Amino acid sequence: MAKKTYDLLFKLLLIGDSGVGKTCILFRFSDDAFNTTFISTIGIDFKIKTIELRGKKIKLQIWDTAGQERFHTITTSYYRGAMGIMLVYDITNGKSFDNIAKWLRNIDEHANEDVEKMILGNKCDMEDKRVIAKEKGESIAREHGIRFLETSAKANINIEQAFLELAEAILNKTPGRDPQENPDNVVRPDKRSRDGGAARQCCA
Amino acid sequence: MAAYKASPNHPIHPTQQRLYSTPSLSDRLQEFDRILSQDVVDLKALRRLCFTGAPEEGGRRALCWKLLLNYLPLDTNQWDETLRKKRAQYQHFVEEMVVEPARLSKNGSGNNHVDDHPLNPNPDSQWGSFFKDNEVLAQIDKDVRRLCPDIMFFQRGTNYPCRLIVDDQDVERLSHRVTHSSLTASSVTRKGLGITKMESVSRRSTTTEDYHPLSPGSEAHWEVVERILFIYAKLNPGQSYVQGMNEIIGPIYYTFASDPNEAFREMAEADCFWCFISLMGEIRDFFIRTLDESESGIGAMMNRLMANLRQHDHQLWDRLRVQELKPQFFSFRWLTLLLSQEFDLPDVIRVWDSLFADTDRFSYLIQVCTAMMVTQRDVMMENDFAGNMKILQHYPPGDIQVLLSKATELVESNGEAGIGTEASS
Repeated sequence: MAKKTYDLLFKLLLIGDSGVGKTCILFRFSDDAFNTTFISTIGIDFKIKTIELRGKKIKLQIWDTAGQERFHTITTSYYRGAMGIMLVYDITNGKSFDNIAKWLRNIDEHANEDVEKMILGNKCDMEDKRVIAKEKGESIAREHGIRFLETSAKANINIEQAFLELAEAILNKTPGRDPQENPDNVVRPDKRSRDGGAARQCCA
Repeated sequence: MAAYKASPNHPIHPTQQRLYSTPSLSDRLQEFDRILSQDVVDLKALRRLCFTGAPEEGGRRALCWKLLLNYLPLDTNQWDETLRKKRAQYQHFVEEMVVEPARLSKNGSGNNHVDDHPLNPNPDSQWGSFFKDNEVLAQIDKDVRRLCPDIMFFQRGTNYPCRLIVDDQDVERLSHRVTHSSLTASSVTRKGLGITKMESVSRRSTTTEDYHPLSPGSEAHWEVVERILFIYAKLNPGQSYVQGMNEIIGPIYYTFASDPNEAFREMAEADCFWCFISLMGEIRDFFIRTLDESESGIGAMMNRLMANLRQHDHQLWDRLRVQELKPQFFSFRWLTLLLSQEFDLPDVIRVWDSLFADTDRFSYLIQVCTAMMVTQRDVMMENDFAGNMKILQHYPPGDIQVLLSKATELVESNGEAGIGTEASS
């Protein structure tokens, strides 16, 4: 077996309608680049990125799913193992926003109860094509008690922040997951004031 | 190959040259010509030949595919009649499903109340089916605009656009139908500035913006593919359009639309439509969710693949099992798309020569997929889960011929008659 080069492993999942930019968000985060020429994701894709959070090396195993209905049997089987789920919509596509409720139901049905969730309104660089006001995103997130950010994979707005926040939220409720960890390194959930809070500032 | 632009990381493989070196290319071409010029094509012989790669020269590959996909009958005397009928029928579909509704929409929206439009969700809207179509169309549109972005082909204009559409201002293009409704702000701006404004001066690196409709009178290849997929979805309302179908149609359309034989190239759209229908007839169950666990569904194919791997390389099979690296993580895409996303287009086309030559479709596909794993086994036995996922989801570039040889070896070690050998005995 290869030597363990990390302290914790977090499994994240990206879901949302087809074409909202899930693959681009992941690519921006993992490779710090933007590419509009992605072919559509069929089934499920996968990336690894190691981050450091509060002195811990955290390996993020991120699953990128296909958005179309047909792939749901394949993709929903990953919900169970996910510790964090990012639900992405496209601020220039009203339908992708309307479907948030449907995606949330999917999470309820297939994911662990304590999974950390986050809603992302992507493509926030395309202000002239916006059809979903930021307040609408904030409001639906607040309603469900979920974190929310507007992002742009293209303009690199809030992408890293989104992953870090989600990872942090998972870290907060992961005390002593690794047996080799010092117990005094365990972070208490109540230490973070921002937890459970919803809307955060995004591109203005 | 003029339209194929090699990416720096993946130079064009010299496989074909190597392949044809024994026997010589000219011998091979003659052999193809001999078979293709018979009154009735010897299908067994054709399969045997195509299995080791069909030559593009003189449009032989495109012709072979039409035969292997059962579009053209083996009786060569019937070819003209078949082509005439099928092409006319397709033309009829275009008129009925694309041109007529588009004309209606244009006239309708001009005369009637302004607030009724194709995406009006009001159930009273006269746009009932038009609205439903547009949902499908929006999905197709997203996908065809990201078809084979590595090559400069689908963004280019075709020399054979659908005249009924591009020459008639009253007929709205499919790609416009969805852009108008979903990108309101931008289409307004566009209207004001005139459509010529959208033509970019020169080609940069490929972006989705490059997949814009060309100026009036012309049409990009991706728009043609969009039309074919739309008509397929209309004709198959139960299944409609499923993501990935674009990846199946891509290599067929590319092969037909770059056919050196002009008489065929001109009719690439209609011919591609029928061959796509025929191929989908064989693999459609992969695209149907409710059939995932059925005998013909993708679940069964993945099981077949893993059973085959187990038989040929038990250690590797066991390693994947221990790592909990499930076949859905990689082989779902491999099998559903017939490997079209795993290799560069010229290699995909070469692989498809063999797949189409397979009598028992798609057994050979299983062998190629197994070969992909087996040839990487040394690395995979060392790698952790993430490393192996990377290999299987982004297959390392290499000589496609090596893979195919390995696959054929696997067929033979199974004691099955190889496709390349069955007819030679």
